[in-house]
Amino acid sequence: MTATTAETGFATMLNQGRWAWLRFTAYLGAMAGIAAMAMYGSGGYEENAFLYQILSMKGLLWGGTGALVGGGLAVVASTLKPTLLDTKMARHTVPWLDGFVLMVILASIWALFEPSQSQISYEDQSNLFAGRVIMAMNVIFIFSAVSYIAYLFAPESFIGRIATWSAYAGIYLGGSALLLRWHESYLFDMEIGHAPVSNLYEVFILLFCITAAVYLALEKRYQAKAMGAFVLTLVSAGVFFGIWLDSVGQGDIKPLVPALQSYWMKIHVPMNFVGYGSFAVACGAGMAYLVRYRLEASGGKSKMLAIFPSLEQLDQLAYKAVAIGFPAFTLATILGAAWAAEAWGGYWSWDPKETWALIVWLIYGAYLHARVSHGWHGKALAWWAVAGFLVTVFCFLGVNMYLSGLHSYGRLT
Amino acid sequence: MANMPRMQTLPDLLKSLWQRIGSMSLAIILLVVLSIASVIGTVLLQNQDQADYLQQFGPLWYWVFRSLGLFDMYHTWWFMSMLGFLMVSLSSCLWRNVPKMLKEMRTRKATVAEKSLKRFQYLHDWRLPAEMDIAHVQQAFRKRLRGWEFRETEQGGVQYLRADKGRWNKWGYILVHSAILVILVGGWMGSEYGFRGNMAVPEGQSESEISFLQGTETGHLKMPFEVRCNSFSIDFFPTGAPKEFRSNLTIIDNGKEVLTSDIIVNEPLYYKGVRIYQASFGDGGSDITFKLFHMDGSEKISFAKVQVYKTWKDENTGMSIKVTDFKPYNVENMANPGEPKDFQDLGPAVEYELRGPGLKPVKIKAFMNPFIDAKGVNQGSFIMVSLTGDKQDYKPVALGLDLTNPVEWKLFHAFMRQLAVVGKQSKQANLAAFKKAMAEVFGEGKRPEGFQAMAMRTLQAINMLSQLPWPLLPIPDDFDQHYYTGLQLAMDPGMNVVWVGSAMLVIGLCIMFYMPHRKLWLIVRPVSGGLHISLAGMANRNHLVFNQAFNDLFTQLDKDFAQGKS
Ligand code: HEM
Repeated sequence: MTATTAETGFATMLNQGRWAWLRFTAYLGAMAGIAAMAMYGSGGYEENAFLYQILSMKGLLWGGTGALVGGGLAVVASTLKPTLLDTKMARHTVPWLDGFVLMVILASIWALFEPSQSQISYEDQSNLFAGRVIMAMNVIFIFSAVSYIAYLFAPESFIGRIATWSAYAGIYLGGSALLLRWHESYLFDMEIGHAPVSNLYEVFILLFCITAAVYLALEKRYQAKAMGAFVLTLVSAGVFFGIWLDSVGQGDIKPLVPALQSYWMKIHVPMNFVGYGSFAVACGAGMAYLVRYRLEASGGKSKMLAIFPSLEQLDQLAYKAVAIGFPAFTLATILGAAWAAEAWGGYWSWDPKETWALIVWLIYGAYLHARVSHGWHGKALAWWAVAGFLVTVFCFLGVNMYLSGLHSYGRLT
Repeated sequence: MANMPRMQTLPDLLKSLWQRIGSMSLAIILLVVLSIASVIGTVLLQNQDQADYLQQFGPLWYWVFRSLGLFDMYHTWWFMSMLGFLMVSLSSCLWRNVPKMLKEMRTRKATVAEKSLKRFQYLHDWRLPAEMDIAHVQQAFRKRLRGWEFRETEQGGVQYLRADKGRWNKWGYILVHSAILVILVGGWMGSEYGFRGNMAVPEGQSESEISFLQGTETGHLKMPFEVRCNSFSIDFFPTGAPKEFRSNLTIIDNGKEVLTSDIIVNEPLYYKGVRIYQASFGDGGSDITFKLFHMDGSEKISFAKVQVYKTWKDENTGMSIKVTDFKPYNVENMANPGEPKDFQDLGPAVEYELRGPGLKPVKIKAFMNPFIDAKGVNQGSFIMVSLTGDKQDYKPVALGLDLTNPVEWKLFHAFMRQLAVVGKQSKQANLAAFKKAMAEVFGEGKRPEGFQAMAMRTLQAINMLSQLPWPLLPIPDDFDQHYYTGLQLAMDPGMNVVWVGSAMLVIGLCIMFYMPHRKLWLIVRPVSGGLHISLAGMANRNHLVFNQAFNDLFTQLDKDFAQGKS
């Protein structure tokens, strides 16, 4: 056991072996159950009531049955093949899935602070509670970035811990605020309700949370704390952008245009942001690499070097992040194509957003090849990771702002 | 020159070219070049009207861009050739690598030559006493590696035990790279044997032909069936934004009605391999009744019935009204610049082109209802006039009178007549004239409700209406709306091929990234006075994890061996 994975007895037991495996499969089963409800359940999938379909008795039944079936299958499978109990996927994802359950509970607590129905109006949404939770998230993420930077200059373990914990807190605030927003969208009118992944403001919050989560997963496993200063700074830059978006009225809950009323949106959009978030982390690793490279070149006496991962490790971390992001992004693009096939009549239309997704994909594809081939070395690849993320940013921001196309949903309105 | 290549025969040359084409550096270049080329088509709007391009770029650049096919660049020969080249390159690298990889996956040599052992990135050694049981050592190794595959050999007194995990990793490579080929083939099948185009079906009518863009021209294609639009409807959110577009369609095949169904966005209809999507909508020739206000002072009002997209001609004046569009809702931002947006529905409006002898043709958007401002004051009827015929040049024109109220039209004319009697000299005279006009219309001493505002409107109309050059002023009076539904019809025989390729791609990527091939060797070599044990490792990916796992394994084995000693 290395120090990174050393945890106290009980938690260790829960997050390993049979308990992790059982929980993992139960979660998978619950998700499959909910998906089955959307597809086959009586009443089926209803865009403007899906949250409550999940939270209703019916959802509990479908999800619970799924969990039981999943768990049961897991027991059978692991008796037949005991090595399944060591499945790494289970061990690594279970804490996050537990965390998600906690997030749902947190969101339910926030819901108690909601203003009374008579005080809620579509025209002025400023009294909704999610806005306050998001503001707290903004502050916490910026605080976390500052702490990570402070940690670079004063590598005290307690500063590092504060930085890490505040990043976790940011994820919880952001995630629960999004869940709460989902609920809030129904408060105006059941018809308006929809999942909180429908506009730039909402997906930005999702992006912060996913970026921080991907980073923390890497930090936990590979002792890469110095990288946090870079990743969380990127997140903070995003936070300021989000605050600006809100200030110009883009943060309001709006009804969904018809093109977006599809369950595909709930799969396609978050999956895309797993890709974007991972690419952001890769960019952070690339930046850390370049900084360390500089420090080493200028004599290598800086105290910071002691806490920075080695160049080799940073290189591997960037690769690791791309290795998470690339398959996710590929899947997201394919899901988008499937949605387009269903909504627009063709899986690929060379619409600017699609094309830029392809460009991003090709660039990271080239990055992966460049790593395997010998001509390219760490520094060039670090630059590539940074530049790749700039292209990614253009793909999800620039295209919306500067180029028009089907993704502006302007066709039918 | 020393390293000048010697003369090659053609087959040799082809062979080396074939290998070059499959090389990794070419792959990188191809991917980067493809991505840069793709940018062009996103910056330059594709498949727009040629006239717009000409206007935007001027004749020179227009022709340069057009001859490079940049207005439909993803279908140009050069972009296609790049994709073709990618396919050739992929085939070449698969051709070269697959046999090697298959062979490597099948044969797992357990032995490692002494020399190559030194070059291993992951290597640890132990010296153990000779009485140590070799079987015990190997057992400890096996026990620590649950789920790994083992292979054992002895050679020259040395015991080799090899463990493999993720032995099938190279299938990831094979799947991913052939997936790209499959997807491209699927895309090609779609463009070669499929179609995609639009049809507009007015409510109550049917249509069987689609049209689509073909380079710079419009192509047409007859479907093997007819589509009738029974009805089209729009649902709105409480906020006024559209919520749902719904068409009720009937498929007519060989004169028989075979299928009737609703479609909405995201829920297409499927018939005979063709998918029918809700894509857009518009006016399908609504019936419009105009009130024509005669501007010659005769106080006359006549009516004209016309349909959208049709033209109505007046025999007497030679005026013609060509109706171009009708919208029952016209939500506009009524705030002044700089103020918060204030959207308001201005009600039904008809757009038409007005022509007449000796008159400059204009485009007009005439609203049926008068404009009620934020304070609830009726500001009279209004139209928007564009002198250029371009929608961007619309200027609002407040007509003053509320033309939906026939009394105001009367009052206006009475006022005009009275003014003509007194002449426009002074305020008092004007007032007196207006009073007389009032008495004429409403009777002595009677004042209708909202009279103040009506007076204001009439005064405004005096200035405004006399300026209008047209002998007739058409204002919509009634309508019977018919929509057309804009459908997109598509057939793509390559689509399923693309989905198969996509699945291969995702599965392949997961194998490639998350199931790295890891190899470990435990080599036990008797040396003088004991056993020399080497633990060697190799991974083709994800060294961060492997490094950790390797060191963990070393520590654990160290403990195990120590127990075995005692
Ligand atoms: C769009 C097209 C392509 C995609 C998405 C793609 C994807 C990938 C990926 C993800 C890897 C793994 C990189 C890593 O280990 O991190 C890889 C490896 C590789 N690719 Fe491609 N590739 C594409 C095109 C090509 C082409 C055109 C060639 C050859 C001309 C090529 C040759 C190779 C080779 C030789 C490897 C190394 C395999 C190994 O030993 O692990 N690829 N490719």
